Amino acid sequence: VPVKVYPAAQSKQIRFRELHAKDAAPLEHRRMCSKEGKEVPYDEIVRGYETAPGRYVVLTKEEIQAAAAERGKTIDLEDFVPGDEIDPVYYDTPYWLGPQAGAEEAYGVLRAALEKAGVVGVGRFVLRTKEQLVAVHAVDGALRLDTMRFHDEVIDPEDLDIPEPAKSVTDREAKMADALVSSLEAEFDPAEYEDTYRERVLEVVMAKAKGEQIVPSEPVSDGDGSADLMALLEQSLGGAKKRSGGAAKKSTRKGAGKSKTRARR
Amino acid sequence: MPRPIWSGSLSFGLVNVPVKLMSATRDLGVHFNQLHEKDKARIEVRRVCTQEDVEVPWEEIGRGYELDDGQIVMLTDEELEAADPKNTIDIEAFVDVEEIDPVYFDHPYFLVPDSNEAAVRAYHLLRRVMESSGRVAIARFVLRTKEYLVAVRPRGNAISLTTMRFHDEVRSPEDVGLDGLPKAKKAQVDQAVQLIEGLTTDFEPERYEDEHRKRLLAIIQQKRKGKEIEIPDEPETPKAVPDLMAALEASIQRMKDGGGDGGDGEAKLERMPKKELLERAKARGVEGRSQMSKDELVEALSRS
Repeated sequence: VPVKVYPAAQSKQIRFRELHAKDAAPLEHRRMCSKEGKEVPYDEIVRGYETAPGRYVVLTKEEIQAAAAERGKTIDLEDFVPGDEIDPVYYDTPYWLGPQAGAEEAYGVLRAALEKAGVVGVGRFVLRTKEQLVAVHAVDGALRLDTMRFHDEVIDPEDLDIPEPAKSVTDREAKMADALVSSLEAEFDPAEYEDTYRERVLEVVMAKAKGEQIVPSEPVSDGDGSADLMALLEQSLGGAKKRSGGAAKKSTRKGAGKSKTRARR
Repeated sequence: MPRPIWSGSLSFGLVNVPVKLMSATRDLGVHFNQLHEKDKARIEVRRVCTQEDVEVPWEEIGRGYELDDGQIVMLTDEELEAADPKNTIDIEAFVDVEEIDPVYFDHPYFLVPDSNEAAVRAYHLLRRVMESSGRVAIARFVLRTKEYLVAVRPRGNAISLTTMRFHDEVRSPEDVGLDGLPKAKKAQVDQAVQLIEGLTTDFEPERYEDEHRKRLLAIIQQKRKGKEIEIPDEPETPKAVPDLMAALEASIQRMKDGGGDGGDGEAKLERMPKKELLERAKARGVEGRSQMSKDELVEALSRS
């Protein structure tokens, strides 16, 4: 099925520019030869793979691409798997797939069949010069391709040596914590979460632009790591219960976030 | 253990768990260095002040935000911190993980508790209740100069944190002009579903190796030995199949042939999801099937 690929995500992070602090002049990145100490024009730069300290194998762009070309420009779906079996840890970057002219029919059949079978296609695809493991889903009336991490790129929790408690969690604590989880249960609606930090940073920027002095607020104490777990759970639950009295779930959550911050201060 | 990227606390009601953030991925990519072609010396990127034309050391670098009128406002680390003084991962809600479209997931990390008993117990308490309730926590926190919406959930004996994209960072199909696509014909969809079902298996990440990484390393080795690298021709973009129905039928036939006589060869069984194997085992009355692993089911079914 001939397709076109469109990015499905775009970061809206605030971009800062690097400045020289003393004169506020912007900085420029210059590529310098470490041996000659002179700036190197772009066409004199090659790519080298370090095989031993200071020893490089130089590869041309075409030679690097030779590793990708074998498969050509096809997305080869090798398997179909139930989507819920793929742990989110494997997902990397999302793209939308659109049909090329003349391929609308085949595209529509694949999309409808994936949806009907309730599965996700897993395959490989060369994006720019790198071959990627990808998952193809039928979502919102279109096909989405998510690049995926390979299994050896994902760290297993067993490798981390997470400490175990000397005294294990009691049933009473678990019950309290469970009640607290229930009190904060909600449906996931992505539109409910806005990036408020972006706005707060812009506020600071605007205040500074007007010549106001920015006073960093006192750091909030983290406490001593929940000394009396049971008491804290009880208090949290008391708060959560009071707040949820009669209120809709949505407003409960927003309220919970705010009063939590107040309580800590 | 890898170095922590951030440390702070995970807050759950009034319970604060001091934690460190670690990446849950390792970089196995093949990386190249930029070299100066004529002397094979490394290229260094130097930061130069555009006013003074001198190199600027790290400690003299400031952060500027350019306003619409071109004015640049410089912010210190302390001033930036005024936008987020908390240093906590605040849990706002608990949701069903299946409600979250994977399009929102960005980078996976682990949270590791401080080694004191109180922190470790609170950590495992949260992990345990999320596991038993099947819920994941939605929280937010600021890492460097960006706020992240995150999903906090149990993974094995650890708690993982996955950064998520905000809804306005995700494009819909309409945003990229993918609306009004024609509906597919039912007969073709049914054929395709038959093909897909025949190729449906469990997701086993270990089955997929990064062949590109291997080929690239092999090319590097050849080049090191002074061999010439064959540059393949640019592959052609495949054309749409003229007769979709015929292509689907041929694919199904090929799949059936691949599966031998249509019976349950071991290779074919191995590809099936465990759910399906269990159903087949039930139909055949295989005893002790509910306690069996996938491999044991395959073996029992291929013998029966």
